[in-house]
Amino acid sequence: MTSNKRIEPWLFVLPALLVFLFTVIVPIIWSFTYSLYEWNGIGDKRFIGIDNYTRMLTDNVFITSFKNNLIFTGLGTVVQIVIGMTMAVILTSITKFRNFIKVIYFIPCVISSMAISQIFSKMLSINPEGVVNATLGAVGLDSLKAAFLSDPNLTLIIVTLVDAYKFCAIYMVIYYAAFLAISNDIIEASVIDGCNWWQQYIYMRFPLIKGIFFITVVMLVSGTLKGFDVPYILTNGGPGASSELVSTYMYKVAFNSVNYGYGSAIAVFLVIECLLIVTLIRKLISKVDVEA
Amino acid sequence: MKTAPLNIGVRTLFYMILAVFVVIQVYPIFWVIISSFKTQAEVMSSAPYSLPGSFYLGNYVSMLQNSQIPTYFMNSSIVAVLTLFFTIVIGAPAAFAIEKMKFGAGNQVLAFFLLGIMIPIFVTLLPMFQIYNALGLRNTFTSLILPQVGFNLPICIYLYSGFMRYVPNSLIESAHLDGAGSFKIFTSIILPMSKNTTITIITFNFIFIWNEFIFANTFMTSSSMKTLPLGLKDFVGLYGFTDWGATYAAITVTILPTLLIYFILNKSVIEGMAAGAVKS
Repeated sequence: MTSNKRIEPWLFVLPALLVFLFTVIVPIIWSFTYSLYEWNGIGDKRFIGIDNYTRMLTDNVFITSFKNNLIFTGLGTVVQIVIGMTMAVILTSITKFRNFIKVIYFIPCVISSMAISQIFSKMLSINPEGVVNATLGAVGLDSLKAAFLSDPNLTLIIVTLVDAYKFCAIYMVIYYAAFLAISNDIIEASVIDGCNWWQQYIYMRFPLIKGIFFITVVMLVSGTLKGFDVPYILTNGGPGASSELVSTYMYKVAFNSVNYGYGSAIAVFLVIECLLIVTLIRKLISKVDVEA
Repeated sequence: MKTAPLNIGVRTLFYMILAVFVVIQVYPIFWVIISSFKTQAEVMSSAPYSLPGSFYLGNYVSMLQNSQIPTYFMNSSIVAVLTLFFTIVIGAPAAFAIEKMKFGAGNQVLAFFLLGIMIPIFVTLLPMFQIYNALGLRNTFTSLILPQVGFNLPICIYLYSGFMRYVPNSLIESAHLDGAGSFKIFTSIILPMSKNTTITIITFNFIFIWNEFIFANTFMTSSSMKTLPLGLKDFVGLYGFTDWGATYAAITVTILPTLLIYFILNKSVIEGMAAGAVKS
């Protein structure tokens, strides 16, 4: 009976554990092993130690994609926080249509990156003229018309903004829920004490949701470091490597150039990068928290 | 009194900012849907931001006749239903064991699953590709269902265990005294009680699965097995520069199911996605 009792929970978790091990954990270990070999998937594997990792240091496309990814992460994080916070503050401050606006604003989050990328690709088109260029023409701003998706100076910014467009509403919802969760008593007390709207945010609401705010920063940084869909579909990393990110480059190396060893090394790099940066941010945050 | 009073000027300014943000956010979706009702002549000659003159359905007809979109739609539905089914069927019992079965290693097992939320899926693509290749599983539904169940499990278990933690132990103990085994307690008491959690998990995971791109792009190369996002990519590749009307119709068809579910169950969708995001 007792040994039976001890085994029983394992029977309940076993199917989930097996699927999780087989589809998530084992492939990670496997990837790490691949990354130490030179291999095109068909011929013989050749053990080359960390050569695939040192190769990244001299691979210009990789370095570009890494720099691009930092911009994608930095700009994307700031834009999404600013939009999400602005929307949340306004939603909290108004009295009518709150829920309606929240639901409407969230729509892009439920639409596939494929559909969103295709929509923007049509809207930003120059020939035939898409909505954006046609509108610029109609309001007399012809000088701003551009082939947005083939201008290497613009593509990185565009994929960052389209990605932000798709996800920013999640942060609105999170901040809004955090504002609503603040106890009414605190807010009422501040009104009695003569706090105006602005003081209420500076002294009460923003400090009270600090924890959630830091969590969203971690979410955004780790999410955008792994960004893939929009750049891959909208510009395919191009033109040139102008909007290439680490993940899209990894995908191309692995599946287009069929360089499994090097592709795996970049994938492992991505995992380590994410873990390192997220740990670093968590450390910084806990330091700030202690000092505050 | 929830907020300090705002003067009318500030309030007007807020509504104006709100209006601008909402219009920017919704316009692209609105635009593609209304553009799908434009005739070929309207698409060619009228300004792209103009409204269609009539409720023209020809784009939908030609899109359905000239493409495999119905097949892709079917494939996406099969993958979504089976992935959700298996995620729930193996995820819920795991959460039950972790929270309610006096499971010594429960916390460690939960922490182990939660590791999965941090993992970028790219790192698993090549090995999975190799395995599927060797087992002949590429271009089968299994190759999409299996990894998606694996990657959806952590958040599913996390949400279930968050709910089940608060089910009173006395309820389970008294059922035990009445002679019910753990399996019986799980299926006839815990699972029905978790109905809302199940709905949340199903709705927001449905959206992720329906929209999934990377696994499908990697494992599905035969056109009869593609899911909608991939099929849409092919369709745009073929007709995107010649038949814009049909392209808009195709995009609209792919986003319709998620929009529909979202409008019916927006509360659980938003809750699920926000909870899932916060955890990662």
